[in-house]
Amino acid sequence: TFGPLADEDRIFTNLYGRHDWGLKGAQKRGDWYKTKEILLKGVDWILNEIKTSGLRGRGGAGFPTGMKWSFMNKPSDGRPKYLVVNADEGEPGTCKDREIMRHDPHKLVEGCLIAGRAMGARAAYIYIRGEFYNEASNLQVAIHEAYSAGLIGKNACGSGYDFDVFVARGAGAYICGEETALIESLEGKQGKPRVFGCPTTVANVETVSVAPTICRRGGTWFAGFGRERNSGTKLFNISGHVNHPCTVEEEMSIPLKDLIERHAGGVRGGWDNLLAVIPGGSSTPLIPKSVCEEVPMDFDGLIQAQTGLGTAALIVMDKSTDVIRAIARLLEFYKHESCGQCTPCREGVDWMNNMMWRFVRGDARPAEIDMIWEISKQVEGHTICALGDGAAWPVQGLIRHFRPVMESRIAEFQQQQQARA
Amino acid sequence: MASAAGSRAVAAAKVVKPIISHEMGEAKSRVRELYRAWYREVPNTVLLYRLDISVSQGREKLRELFYKNKHLTDIRVIDMLVIKGRMELEETIKGWKQNTHIMRYFNESVQPRPTDFLSKFYSGHDP
Amino acid sequence: MEFLLANHPLDCPICDQGGECDLQDQSMQFGSDRSRFSEEKRAVEDKNIGPLIKTIMTRCIQCTRCVRFASEIAGVEDLGTTGRGNNLQIGTYVEKMFMSELSGNVIDICPVGALTSKPYAFTARPWETRKTESIDVLDAVGSNIVVSTRGGEVMRVMPRLNEDINEEWISDKTRFSYDGLKRQRLTQPMIKDQSGQLTPTNWENALSYVAAALLSVQGTEVAAIAGGMADAEALVSLKDLLNRRGAENLCTEEVFPLAGAGTDLRSNYLLNSGIAGIEECDLLLLIGTNPRYEAPLFNARIRKSWLHNELRIAMVGHSVDLSYTYDHLGEDTSVLQELANNTHPFCQVLSAAKRPIVVVGSSALQREDGAAILSAVSTIAQNVRTSNSGNEQWKVLNVLHRVASQVAALDLGYKAGVDAIRKNPPKVLFLLGADADCITRADLPKHSLIIYQGHHGDVGATMADVILPGAAYTEKNATYVNTEGRSQHTRVAVTPPGLAREDWKIIRAISELADATLPYDTLDEVRSRLAEVSPNLIRYEDMEEANYFKQANELAKAVKQDLLAAPLVPPQLELKDFFMTDSISRASQTMAKCVKAVTEGAAAVDEPSVC
Repeated sequence: TFGPLADEDRIFTNLYGRHDWGLKGAQKRGDWYKTKEILLKGVDWILNEIKTSGLRGRGGAGFPTGMKWSFMNKPSDGRPKYLVVNADEGEPGTCKDREIMRHDPHKLVEGCLIAGRAMGARAAYIYIRGEFYNEASNLQVAIHEAYSAGLIGKNACGSGYDFDVFVARGAGAYICGEETALIESLEGKQGKPRVFGCPTTVANVETVSVAPTICRRGGTWFAGFGRERNSGTKLFNISGHVNHPCTVEEEMSIPLKDLIERHAGGVRGGWDNLLAVIPGGSSTPLIPKSVCEEVPMDFDGLIQAQTGLGTAALIVMDKSTDVIRAIARLLEFYKHESCGQCTPCREGVDWMNNMMWRFVRGDARPAEIDMIWEISKQVEGHTICALGDGAAWPVQGLIRHFRPVMESRIAEFQQQQQARA
Repeated sequence: MASAAGSRAVAAAKVVKPIISHEMGEAKSRVRELYRAWYREVPNTVLLYRLDISVSQGREKLRELFYKNKHLTDIRVIDMLVIKGRMELEETIKGWKQNTHIMRYFNESVQPRPTDFLSKFYSGHDP
Repeated sequence: MEFLLANHPLDCPICDQGGECDLQDQSMQFGSDRSRFSEEKRAVEDKNIGPLIKTIMTRCIQCTRCVRFASEIAGVEDLGTTGRGNNLQIGTYVEKMFMSELSGNVIDICPVGALTSKPYAFTARPWETRKTESIDVLDAVGSNIVVSTRGGEVMRVMPRLNEDINEEWISDKTRFSYDGLKRQRLTQPMIKDQSGQLTPTNWENALSYVAAALLSVQGTEVAAIAGGMADAEALVSLKDLLNRRGAENLCTEEVFPLAGAGTDLRSNYLLNSGIAGIEECDLLLLIGTNPRYEAPLFNARIRKSWLHNELRIAMVGHSVDLSYTYDHLGEDTSVLQELANNTHPFCQVLSAAKRPIVVVGSSALQREDGAAILSAVSTIAQNVRTSNSGNEQWKVLNVLHRVASQVAALDLGYKAGVDAIRKNPPKVLFLLGADADCITRADLPKHSLIIYQGHHGDVGATMADVILPGAAYTEKNATYVNTEGRSQHTRVAVTPPGLAREDWKIIRAISELADATLPYDTLDEVRSRLAEVSPNLIRYEDMEEANYFKQANELAKAVKQDLLAAPLVPPQLELKDFFMTDSISRASQTMAKCVKAVTEGAAAVDEPSVC
């Protein structure tokens, strides 16, 4: 059994902003403690700790972080290397990074320094979502404090290592949260994904922020949480039809039901009123109540349930929800946010969106359910970035679990039409 | 000389299959027959086709065309020409021809192709 | 496939791309024969991006090839995408013209009918045109082209792949000035009558008139000027004719300094490195030229090298926008002097370079002090060449010509520049397509006779006493040598209009009447005569090398001429100067529209949309 997480094992101790988020408060909570020593232990030690901890990227894809960082630490080819921190948190339902930046910005700054050291980067660019005004301002204050205290900048923390942190604010496009599009946007171009990489690592805010604590408390401590290959603690966002929507740090692999019941005060109207849950932000397929009973909240468990952990943002829907309409609304979001570079995404998502709104009314033929399934399969995996996949999966989840609802809606509509005629 | 040629032609005709005539005399009579038929037809043709020539001009052309082949000694060639001549005659009599087809015998519009550079140059783009 | 067609209109029957449409081909190959797309289709507003390119943006499939072409090859950031997702549009952000000398190429690379040619719109279908592979003569690059014709009319000009010259692009002048071939043409011989009016006549009269004029004067009183679009066949026959009559004064309009080695050493007047050679060099020094408009494809090649090979470029001459960055060393001739004397700071960069190239524009050599400029440039090049030891085969000195006929004319022994004619005014002057206005009536004695042979009623024809209508480059089999010394030949795509004849044949006909019959009657015979004079002229597709830099430089040092103080300013500075430079493009309405659109904005030539 996993969870609940003991208070002493929490990494983000100021998640709710009850304490001072400035340097003083942060240091009181243990940030910047012996950072110099960590840096001086060397690259290999840091990488090793991260590898032992089994930390997987918190941005959605879940790539093992230790491995990713060690790729970067190859001998330099002369060009400076950079760390880019993805703080363009745009996934509907997700609000973990903003809490970090708002209430615990020093964790991120310190994380940048350690992650940057681990991959031998010269500087970190934090690409923050344009709408996050307060967050950007808090972060900037934190960076400023860190510079003044000599924690970053030239000879950071007295370790002899130079490291700069810059903040870049986005202009509010969902696609810019995609790694390569983010880099393009940072370079001042249009935020569009590209195929060819460059010697830059993009890491999620949460991934970076947990790195210092892992180094301080040891990789094995972190690995002690959760199931194998899904270790650590994680910020979960619970929203939708629950009594107390919240963001909470919990152990990985905690059962979904536990998470909702314990932290969010249960589903509105009781557990039996649950219809479905989207477990990992809008891009992941939904799972119906029957699956929710058992499933653990971790990467592998959710993949077994034909969905994904994503950003661990649970969107809970009770039985009052028009589930078709909910998915149609998500598709409209994806249609609006598609950058238009790849044909399948540009045309397919628009097409699916149009069809979904007809399904909402029931103005369709039953055969079109198979057709939209086929279209979503044609979109999935045929695009440069994952937005196409993210748009296709919700539709697939809907058809997988709620096909009878769609069919009865169509039948209903046809009856109405006949009655009118 | 002429008879020698004639006998040679006859000898050749013996070897190969004749068309219609078996010997020179027969071929010659067919030629005369054709000539007379044409000769009688010329006034009708001039009238029928409203040709801008006199009957005597037509007959003169007729004689010219026949004399063009006077050197022929091969009976089969003569026969073939006679057959063609009859066909022409038939087409003329039955009005299957048009004015220009008849006037083509007179070669009025035909110009010799230019041979030297300058006349080629004057006559057109790529003679 | 289905997604591409989802929002693509069913325009094929009225689309100019029909028959050569990539999307059409693809859907024939892989597409379904029925549609299950029952939603509403997207429609996009058309944009006016100038008089050359017609946009039907609804057909666009957002492949962004045009955007990439504009920013990567043409080097103008005019095209881009706006909007996101399904609303993604290609456009110029604000209503403006697509300002590039290579803009027409986006028509070729557009896989669908979203970008099509405005002049060609609704005129022909690709399957009903006859395609003739030919050569462009509107600049000295010698771009390979395909001339599409239908019923004796040129319908359009498209590029032909030649990696050594134009790759797969052509300039807008090459592509769109073909309508100039149908206007202002000389279609019949003309002779000036008593009242001073040119009256049409036939060839017999015109030729005998010319022949009589040639016979009535001494050979030394006859001279000829060859224009920028004269072909090698015409040049050699004219030279043979006049030489037989005892005349030696045969000049080209384009000046090339004759002092020093002059035109005697071929390496002196060629783009020796070759156009493709730019890709091998690491430093390029441009002198007194604006390659962007004088040779757009050469410039595209420089840009390519600049982009991919980190080529460093420096320039002496007027500062112009070349679509890439360069070190501007100044526009004064004193810079040249300093470079030649090794006193300029840039000399260190030059000598440090492993594979440097120096390119001097022929426009700089048109000046009074052309010889001094060439001498200075030659010294710079030779200095670099010697300091760059162990690479004796590397060619540094390059001349970038502007007109197609020049190299062939110099190969055949024409004198560059009309100075000889000014000094020794002839009684009979034969203009072979000379339209640059370098000799006027005022330069000649009172009763001299001017014969103009050419295809357009332009500057030369207006001052002539006799006009002999010749063929334009699409109408004859003719040899041209491009600026790098590569011999290529055009092919007959259409017959010359009216009584016009191929140029060498006219001269051959005159020779017969002037008692100096030239010994060739056919094209093959003329070409074997060309081979006698200069064998490289008929080695088609071959770039004949030349390598006498050292000797040329030694001769150049003997030149005693001072540089003038006037700055080096090439004649074509902006895009508007590019479009109308010769008799064909001056007669072209499309080119006139371009000039208007560039100066007054694309809206000034707004045409009613037919579609």
